[in-house]
Amino acid sequence: MKASGKILLVDDDPDFLEMHTAVLQNHGYDVLTATSGQEGLERVRAEMPDLIILDLMMEKHDAGFSFSKTVKTDPLFRKIPILMVTSVAEATGFRFSLEEDGYWMKTDDFLDKPVMPEVLLERVDKLLRKRE
Amino acid sequence: MNTPAKILVVDDEMGIREGCRRVLGEEGYDIDLAEDGTVGLRRVQEKAYDLILVDLMMPGIGGLDLIKKIHEIDPEIILVVITGYATIETAVEATKRGAYDYLPKPFTPEALAVLVKRGIEKRELRLEAQRLHDEREQRLLELAGEKSRLRSIIGCMADGVLVTNLQRQLVLWNAAAVKMLRLSDTDEPGRLMDHCLKNRALIESLDRILGSKDESFSMIGQEIRTDDPKSVLMAQMAPVRDEHGRLLGAVTVIRDITNLKEIETIKSQFVSMVAHELRSPLAAIEGWLGVVLSGEAAGDEEQKRKWLLRAKERANSLLALVQDLLEINKIEAGKVAQKMESVQLTDMIGKIVEFFKPEAERQHVLLEMKPSVALPAIQADIQDMEKLFTNLVSNAIKYNVENGSVTIETSLDAHFVGIHIRDTGVGIAPADLPRIFDDFFRAETKRTKRISGTGLGLTIAKKIVDSHFGHIEVESQPDRGSTFSVYLPRKK
Repeated sequence: MKASGKILLVDDDPDFLEMHTAVLQNHGYDVLTATSGQEGLERVRAEMPDLIILDLMMEKHDAGFSFSKTVKTDPLFRKIPILMVTSVAEATGFRFSLEEDGYWMKTDDFLDKPVMPEVLLERVDKLLRKRE
Repeated sequence: MNTPAKILVVDDEMGIREGCRRVLGEEGYDIDLAEDGTVGLRRVQEKAYDLILVDLMMPGIGGLDLIKKIHEIDPEIILVVITGYATIETAVEATKRGAYDYLPKPFTPEALAVLVKRGIEKRELRLEAQRLHDEREQRLLELAGEKSRLRSIIGCMADGVLVTNLQRQLVLWNAAAVKMLRLSDTDEPGRLMDHCLKNRALIESLDRILGSKDESFSMIGQEIRTDDPKSVLMAQMAPVRDEHGRLLGAVTVIRDITNLKEIETIKSQFVSMVAHELRSPLAAIEGWLGVVLSGEAAGDEEQKRKWLLRAKERANSLLALVQDLLEINKIEAGKVAQKMESVQLTDMIGKIVEFFKPEAERQHVLLEMKPSVALPAIQADIQDMEKLFTNLVSNAIKYNVENGSVTIETSLDAHFVGIHIRDTGVGIAPADLPRIFDDFFRAETKRTKRISGTGLGLTIAKKIVDSHFGHIEVESQPDRGSTFSVYLPRKK
């Protein structure tokens, strides 16, 4: 099964960028990468991806939040689904959930790092379908 | 009475003197005689009498004068007046002047014995009263001493002490309590606690103790805060009871636990920081293993190997991080672990430079040792020194630029040897400078993003320098380079 779609990965950890790029490309997606919120926004504007996979903890600890807020309040980009991937949830002792935090976090789904390839692919596929 | 009462008879008539001796001697008293006032007075000065019989009419010193003089010596001596002229007036006059009673001449032996017996009893009562009085005075003195001792002890305590009575009045406190609780109007005791105490929570707890009917009620311990948002106090409040267990008031002991709280916060921040720093590489390792295991490589052995190598790299960095944490722990455990010996820094740094030469060449960085002065040997822990300069030299190479250089220079003044590690690297932004020695702090720029590090190297360097009573300084300009200067005390 070959999927299609342009996915933007925003993460400051080069390992996760490469890892997720490899998995997603393997399954037929086009992958763009950015290592900071700023670079991510530039790529969103320039490339109009179909999906964004975002790391919550970037250079500043709230960079993920402000990135998603900027995207989700822009009428041009608000339809782009955002999959938030994070390692803070368990480290800080609480879990994010769509029901409780979805409104103000303005993302479409959450996953804890590390994300196993099957899970990543399944979520990506689901988010892209919903969009269609 | 163990010893017989001592009696003196002062009379100019020998018949009376001898008569008294005979009668009173039979009663078992210790009798002395005096034929006139002068002799009598001398006897009184020599011996402590319990009772003196004085003839009013004598040549020389008269009886009334004698009474006065004797009482100047001992006011508690019982004086009995013997008078031939049994005039009521003189007898009354004598009692006015302090005589106990009078005996008109002629008198019967029985009358004498009875009167003396009564006088001696009176004397014993007086002495007993005097003893009780003295004892009480002494007790009061001791009590006053005890109280002032107690005040001194409470006064110099670092913990605050505050005592309130059942009427909710402040009765005792010390300077520490005034300072910590910011007590007002404590110039005199007896003010209501609501008036002096600002802290609602404390007043409520004290009221609970003062209002408690429960005799087993023993103690309240609570954290309280004052107007100063930074300060945290721990108050222990307990009822004060008398020997029958009746409530008299409440005592509060206050300890300033601000520092403890701060340490607690710093500790928990450090733990959460460490947890996060450990989790990141672990998540990456698990991620790579997951990619390999889920068969993403689809039989591409070369690809699989590449991913596993990435996992291995992160495992290595995790190991380095754990190593650094152990290092910090070792330094913080203190000097116990330090072995101070004579160290030739120039030689040691020379070896470190040799060790890093290949690495520097790979990065196209020129690594040079240019000691401007020869350094004397210093007292230091060799392992600590190796770790310190390894960290600094390694940083200088890591955060350098293509075709840059790292130069190590030396300096010397009266108290310190100086080692200066100068690089032409990426530099540190002024805003980041104050934080570079913080745990896990890593200055992030586009150029440093690809450089791996634990964020603990400079923390360790600073801790090592501090533990050797030296100091570390940094000068830096972004894109121009940094100079780290280490100053260590010269051997005395």
